[in-house]
Amino acid sequence: MNEIALRVGDLVPDFKLTTYEPKTKNFGEFDLAQAKKDGKWTVLFFYPADFTFV
Amino acid sequence: MSCDTQFVHLAWQREEKELAKVEYSMAADPTGKVARMFGVYLENLGLDLRGAFLIGPDGKVMNSEVNFLNLGRNIDELYRKFKANIYLTKNPKEGCPSKWQDEGDKTLKPGPEMVGRVHEALNR
Repeated sequence: MNEIALRVGDLVPDFKLTTYEPKTKNFGEFDLAQAKKDGKWTVLFFYPADFTFV
Repeated sequence: MSCDTQFVHLAWQREEKELAKVEYSMAADPTGKVARMFGVYLENLGLDLRGAFLIGPDGKVMNSEVNFLNLGRNIDELYRKFKANIYLTKNPKEGCPSKWQDEGDKTLKPGPEMVGRVHEALNR
């Protein structure tokens, strides 16, 4: 079971994830705290898995 | 982002021609920790639902849209919501109606004169 999920209006706890960066063909990191510091908006776009279809 | 590693992201982006123009970061969430935070992780399958979330610079969730595994999202609608959020941050007393597409389109300013008169306001 999922713990209670975030809803619209909630503050997202800071998190970091390792990334692949197609622009530079290198690995990197996404850091929500850094995005906030930079005044940036963030889009999180979840999909089931790589090599899925729609 | 998905529960795949950054290595699989690389392989997928390199192999699939539909992804040739992708410029955004492809984030790896192999433990599903972020997917769980947003309620899109399917524990029995180890997969993420198709969720899209917009987070403001203040760290607040501003939009959420979740589709089941077999239905893709419309990027134009996501972009519309993104533009509307930027506009509403600058113009906090206004509201963007459903047909709002871009800055310059009609917005609504809630007040006593608009109660029961949204039709007139939209068709002025």
